[in-house]
Parts: sequence; structure tokens; C-alpha cells
Amino acid sequence: MNTMKWLIKRELWENKGMLFWAPVVMACVLLAIALAALIAGHNMQYDGNHIGMVVIAGKPLEAFGAGAAKVYLAAGMPVLMMLGFLVFFYCLGALHDERRDRSLLFWKSLPVSDAMTVLSKAATALVVAPLIVFGIIIVLSLLMLALTCIGLMVHGTNAFGAVLSQADFYVSPLRLVGLLPVYLLCALPTVGWLLLVSSWARSKVFLWAVGVPLAIGLLILWSQRALGLDIDGTWFLSTITTRALLGVVPGAWFLFEKIARAGILASAEHVDGGSIFSASWAALGSVSLWVGAAAGVAMIAASTWLRRWREEN
Amino acid sequence: MSAIIRASNLSKRYGKQLALDQTSFEIQPGRIVGLIGPNGSGKTTTLKAMLGLTRFDGELSVLGLDPRTQRDALMNEVCFIADVAILPRWLKVKNAIDFVAGVHPRFDRAKAERYLANTKLTPNMKVKAMSKGMVVQLHLALVMAIDAKLLVLDEPTLGLDIIYRKQFYQNLLEDYFDADKTILITTHQIEEVEHILTDLLFIENGKITLSASMDEVGERFTEVMVGPEYVGAASALQPMAQRTVFGKSVMLFDGADRTQLARFGDTRTPSVADLFVATMKGSYA
Repeated sequence: MNTMKWLIKRELWENKGMLFWAPVVMACVLLAIALAALIAGHNMQYDGNHIGMVVIAGKPLEAFGAGAAKVYLAAGMPVLMMLGFLVFFYCLGALHDERRDRSLLFWKSLPVSDAMTVLSKAATALVVAPLIVFGIIIVLSLLMLALTCIGLMVHGTNAFGAVLSQADFYVSPLRLVGLLPVYLLCALPTVGWLLLVSSWARSKVFLWAVGVPLAIGLLILWSQRALGLDIDGTWFLSTITTRALLGVVPGAWFLFEKIARAGILASAEHVDGGSIFSASWAALGSVSLWVGAAAGVAMIAASTWLRRWREEN
Repeated sequence: MSAIIRASNLSKRYGKQLALDQTSFEIQPGRIVGLIGPNGSGKTTTLKAMLGLTRFDGELSVLGLDPRTQRDALMNEVCFIADVAILPRWLKVKNAIDFVAGVHPRFDRAKAERYLANTKLTPNMKVKAMSKGMVVQLHLALVMAIDAKLLVLDEPTLGLDIIYRKQFYQNLLEDYFDADKTILITTHQIEEVEHILTDLLFIENGKITLSASMDEVGERFTEVMVGPEYVGAASALQPMAQRTVFGKSVMLFDGADRTQLARFGDTRTPSVADLFVATMKGSYA
């Protein structure tokens, strides 16, 4: 366990810029834009007159509070989407960089097994990176919500009480973190595939990673159309290729799993944190999700084997 | 005492190239062994096989473990520096120490810090900002602070200046080495290690051509500075090598009687470098 702690620290030392600073910078940019909008909005003019006080009170204020408490984490959506890219490129480099810079032999001279090392990289991609991003999203969203409330206050409405009195305000961050198991299972096939390519390809990891599943899909599609073979190319592209490449995108389960999609469509009228959360967990009822996760585990095992036995010349 | 490394009939092929050809040898504990051979002789492959970094045919036991199947257990007891010491560019000195201290049960942090105090390295320095020699210094400081039963050094001092090289070997001998440890060194700078070696292993074309302790080498091999009048008589005894120094013939004999040779001129034990060149001559002729 102690070794695992140090291995994950090692990953963070190496990839701090990518896994921590990139989302932080993104969050700061979003915050700056919001701040600029707020300041600009404060001086809003209409027909040459200052817009003065807007006082909301009673039922509408309660409704505002309830709504804001449900959806305020949406402010972090761009950062959440970034997570997909971060995990994708982290995995591509994870087992390739140490071979490329030839530090592999240094790591192998220490009493750390290949299984432990590969596991630490998978855990960084599947658990540590999402948790870092979730944390940043929560802080960003809280700041954004505070900014909004301050903005309203400047215009004469104190919405803090209306927001803070909502249970959803406190539950929303927990719901976000509670999506981690769904994200992990959905991202497993992609993380497994990328780690496998990372431990196998001599160079041009990105091309191999994207090219192979895409080319196989297109080839099947072509032989289906041109040769009239009884195989389904669209099925391969939409099921295998997408899961191998897009599983790391948060929310990909809505794309892959019918059950989750149905859940979100059922609540189309009022999509909020709660309905997203329950529809996401519904994806676990889908067999394909588990098959994909098992394939991911198998590919991680294969990359471990490759790291153990692969020889560079 | 039983051997710490026991290899019999090791074979390894890279495509058509035979890197190890039925290689067999033993290494006893508490020795400092020089594994010496020309480029492409199988040195690195031998070391890789011992460290579980390559597959091979034959029997090999290191500290009683099979490096192919028990590598994880083996790495607790063995430490090595691969031929070109490469640490990742992003690694900071303090990170390196923290990490090794975190994962290695036999790492002595104070010792590593003491070695580093003798260098220009500072805790926040990154590998990418270091000179080649400094990277090696960091790597050696880490390795020397690990109390391993077997230390494998493949060209450990490449890129170091002469002052630090001498200091390193001195530290290795005085501070690191003891009767429970075994050190296996390969290097091209034979002159620098020959005084610390206790055993020699010569390897050529994937085969061990000489396996002897330095004492045995002293008994077996004699170098004679032959006076001009004795050249004919000395040549009749079939020296394994002959060279000329300042117009005098220097002949190297294997297994000849030293008192008999003393008649021809001054005798001495050959240097490892001369012995190596003489032994390897066949493969270059």
C-alpha cells in the first residue's frame, strides 16, 4: 500500500502540469470571464439609463435558490470535458515515456513490480485525475455561484440564504464525486486500450491508438458493403471503436448505454444533478458496460506483461 | 559457501546472432567480480539475464531465485545501474530520494544525503538541469545507499571525471562493500577497477574464457621482460602473447613455472588489461 502511495505521487510529480495545472488554468480563465461579465453587467445601461435595482423576493427568489442549488456545478462543465483529453493523453504517455527517455531501467532497478507500476498508472487515470478535476470543478462552481449571488446583491437582492438553505446545494458535490464509479467502469476499456498501445508501440502512439480501432471498423464496413460479407461494420464502429477511444469522456455512458440514455430522456423536461446522477448509475445495469470494463482489465494485464518482457534494442 | 550466482548453459539468440552460447559460471558471495569482454561479447546480455530483464535458455539462479519467474522478490536484494545511467528528466533530487526511500526497504536516506553533500547537487535540482556527470552522481548516491546483497554496475562511471571516479571506487570499497555483499562490475576502464577486483570473468563471443580469482591469476600468468639473448629460448615455451616495449620483448605465459621464467629476465604478474588483450587476441586475429 505504501509503495502504491509513492507510485501515485511519482505520477503526479511527472504529470503535475497536465493533471493539475491545466484544469486549474482552465478554471481560472472561466472565472475571469465570469468576473468580467459581472463587472460589465454592473454597468449595464438601457436606453442611456442605468439599470437600477432588481429586487427579487418571495417565491421567485426561492425558485431561483432551488434552481441554482441544483445546477450550479454546470459552471464547471468545460473543465469536466477537459478531463477526457487529460486522461486520454496521460494514458498514451504513461508507459511510453519511460521507454522513450530510457528511464525504464531505473524504475525496474527498484523493488516495484510491473503489476504495481501499471496499476498505479491505471489508478491515476481512473481515480486520481477525475478526483482532482472534480475538486477543481467544485471550487470553481462555488466561486461562480458566490459571484452570481454577489452580483445580485449589488443589484439589491440577497440570494445567499435562498441558495444555502437548499439541501441540493450540499448534495450536488457529493453527487459529482458519486459518479466516479460509473466514470471508472466506462473509462476502463479506453484506459486499457491506451495503456496497451503505450506499452507496445515504439513510436507514434497517437496514430496507433486512434488508427487501429478506426481502420478495423472501416475495413469491416468496407468488406460488408463491397464484398457483401455478413458482418456488421457500423456495429463495430459504434460499439468497439467508440468504447476504445471515447470512454474517458465524462458522460460517455449516455452515448454508449441505452438504459442511461433512456433515463436522461425521461427527465428531459427537468434535467438536473439528481436526474443525471440516477440515469448515470442506471448504466451499470447494462451488460455491455461490464463487458467493456472486463476487456479494459484484460488489456491492462496485457500491458503489464509487455512491460515485464518487452525488450528495447 | 554456496555460490550467489550460478549459471549453467545460458543461451540467448537475437535473431541469427548468438549473444550467449552455453555460458556457465559461478560467483561466490563477498567478492568483487569484473565481467570483462569486448563490445558485443555478451556482457550486457549476461547482466540482463541475471536481472530478469531478458528471456534466455538454460539454468540461472541468483541468490537462490530464478530471475525469470521471481524477479519481484529478487529486486529486494539486488540493485543495479544499467550501462547508461538514465534518470527521467523531470525528476528532482529530493523526489528521487523520497521515492526510493518510500519503496525500498533497504535504503538508507542519511547515507544518500551524505554522498550528495559531496556534490554540487541541491534538493530542488531537476535532472534536466544537470550535467551528465551530475546525473551519474545522483544515481550512484541512490544506489550506494541501498544495502543490497548483490550490486550490478554496468559501466557505472561513464561520463564522470577522474576525481569523482577515483572517489567512487574508494567509497565503494571502504563504505559499501563488506563480506556479505557481492559486486559485479563491467567497464572498459579496466585500469581503474583492477586493484579492487577479487575475481575476473572474461567473456568472448558469448562464452566465458577465463574465470579466476586474482590470486589464481597471479599464480597462473607471468609476464617476463625477456632479455634479447633469451628471446629464442623463451619463445620455445610458447608465450600466449608477445609485445615489444622500448626494444625489449615482453612475453606473457600461461601456467609456466615462474622460477624457470626468471632466467629470461624480470617477471611480474600481468595487468588485467594486458591479460585481457592477450586472451582476446584470437577473436581479432
